Amino acid sequence: MDYSPLTLWILENGVSEQTLDLFVTITILATIVSIARYIFGSKTYGIYAPIILAIAYSYTGFRYGLAITFVVIATTLLSYSILKKIRMHYITRIAINYCLLSISLVIFFLLIGKYSLGLDNMSQIPSLAVISIAALSDFFIKQFVQKSFKTAVMVLFSTLVVASIGWYVISRDVVTAYTINNLWLVPLFIAINLGIGQFKGLRVKDLFRFNSILKEKDNVSK
Amino acid sequence: MFQSNRIKEILGLNRRNQEYIRPFNPPSAKKIADNKILTKKVLATEGINTPSVYKLVKNKKQLQFLDWESLPKSFVIKPNQGTGGNGIIVFYGKKKGQNSWIRPNGTVMNQKDIALHIENILEGRFSMGNRSDIAIIEERVRTDPLLKQYSYKGVPDIRIICFNGVPIMAMTRLPTKRSNGTANLHSGAICTGLDISTGITTYSMQMNPRTIFSDTYESIESTTDLKENKKLSGIQIPNWNDILTIALKCQRASKLGYVGVDIALDIEKGPVVFELNARPGLGIQVANQAGLRWRLEKVKGLEIKNIKHGIRVAQNLFGGEIEESIEAISGRKVVSITEKVVLFHKGYDSKSKKNSMLKETTTAFMDTGILTSRITKNLISRMGYLDTVKYFDSLNIPKKFESLQSAQKFIDENLSLFQDTDIKRLAKIIDNGEICVRPVLEIKIKISGDIKDVDMVITEETEHSVVIGRGELKGYLIDTSKTFRKI
Repeated sequence: MDYSPLTLWILENGVSEQTLDLFVTITILATIVSIARYIFGSKTYGIYAPIILAIAYSYTGFRYGLAITFVVIATTLLSYSILKKIRMHYITRIAINYCLLSISLVIFFLLIGKYSLGLDNMSQIPSLAVISIAALSDFFIKQFVQKSFKTAVMVLFSTLVVASIGWYVISRDVVTAYTINNLWLVPLFIAINLGIGQFKGLRVKDLFRFNSILKEKDNVSK
Repeated sequence: MFQSNRIKEILGLNRRNQEYIRPFNPPSAKKIADNKILTKKVLATEGINTPSVYKLVKNKKQLQFLDWESLPKSFVIKPNQGTGGNGIIVFYGKKKGQNSWIRPNGTVMNQKDIALHIENILEGRFSMGNRSDIAIIEERVRTDPLLKQYSYKGVPDIRIICFNGVPIMAMTRLPTKRSNGTANLHSGAICTGLDISTGITTYSMQMNPRTIFSDTYESIESTTDLKENKKLSGIQIPNWNDILTIALKCQRASKLGYVGVDIALDIEKGPVVFELNARPGLGIQVANQAGLRWRLEKVKGLEIKNIKHGIRVAQNLFGGEIEESIEAISGRKVVSITEKVVLFHKGYDSKSKKNSMLKETTTAFMDTGILTSRITKNLISRMGYLDTVKYFDSLNIPKKFESLQSAQKFIDENLSLFQDTDIKRLAKIIDNGEICVRPVLEIKIKISGDIKDVDMVITEETEHSVVIGRGELKGYLIDTSKTFRKI
């Protein structure tokens, strides 16, 4: 691949191609998350979770990533509903949840290895990517405990949607290749975020929330 | 479809954060609102009631030595720096002879269960940023019977948004069965808008349980799941001006420029401030079916001299939601006892470019004691009827009549005198105790947005140059509060 002089200079001076690729990916994903939050009103588990999930999906493959996510959330729900009946400290509960999560993921991998279940062998999946997805458990359970099941599921759904969009964008070779070769895009992302940071208008979600006020009223004059 | 002008009236999260919270709520003030113990101390300096604290549990050692026996039958445990009502547990009663307390939903928590909950609070499970926290054991507010009858088990509260020393918008939050007795709107509590001027409930909304990915609300007319469900509109919150005063005192004490003050009505103590919110939610707009943004912009930069001034500004600028609500329910418009009206002069032509020259605004007095409306001689002369007035005066009609019959006889006999004039008819009226005959003209007049042709009796000069009689007041409700209210 022919690189631009700046990219070439960076690569020749101690930054690996994979690292540069990852850093550029993060700038794209961070911008997607901020657009989703302040323009669309999509609440995610912070900025970190959707970024990590999108990157993890790019390593595991989207189908595999979603399957692992499903196992993580299902195990978390199951373990939490069992453990909440036992009187114990919060952190110990989370610790047990992680232990159960490790067991269930191993069982899941074994099941895939034996019965396929529409997925191929999971042994090629990078373990770090799996762990990154497993971290979702902590975010989910915090929302569940502090807010409600409904809120936790809503935020999980938003996080997955934003992560999926992020995965789709960064998994297009043309996007990452163009960005790596045109590093001036990084300051552009900063500028876009500065713009979003100043945006005071209604979020798309607000339009639905305040629908009853915004709708034309026949019987009440203002 | 959405109305673009209404979009401009709504305050969204982006603008709230950037234009109101960041510039007007300094970190030192936010620190007060985010710390319930500090809030209580600060509010005490203004003499504002807050729930009394029974115990503070600051660490596990204090928890270990907590005197459980000394706890009353009912109390509340809450995290000092909790958010959104998380970690708050209410106990309504105590099991006889045991250190076990009963929650509103009937479940029982024993000493160990409660201690574990307190430990979770201390570990920061319910606190902002999961920082270690303090558990507050405090008095349970016993709700005033007025609001209690509209609530399912929990404690209803009043949220007032104050900005720049002016109460901007208010609502009540009524716990329901769906909200599990909490006043949390996201859990299904009912929010009811309050007319900032009078403290009377207007619209009521409840979060739609069927929508999952967006907070949408649906209108609700009455309470649900109570033994006797009651209509939610038209409830008068008692001592409304005192409640507004307390909200503004809270703002003054906390130095929060933009604040949400949560007030409960205790049966003994009266208004009790639950908490101050430095980042109040925007659901209050749904409850009031009105936007916050235009209200905030109206008071931004105003110099508010004192609390009374702030209340007066709010009542003058934002009062009237109740009128719209009554109009929506009854189909009748609400007019003040003295209402601005537009009078259209003789020769007014709606298509003419000289329109503005041929109409004038004046204050009319609404008087249900008379049938036909009245207008003074001077005013009607100015409106282009000078010749008519002069003609009537030139007829030398007796200034008074002995009886109504003789006045009617005079009218019947002299009908022909007015055939080719602007005078529509003659009317017999009692003016200053004397029976007299006056000319009646048909005048185009605009009352509360309605343009109508009104028969008006020409009178001598009186206190009000225009008086609207009950003949024209069908379909209106008269609000006398605006005239006689004193703050």
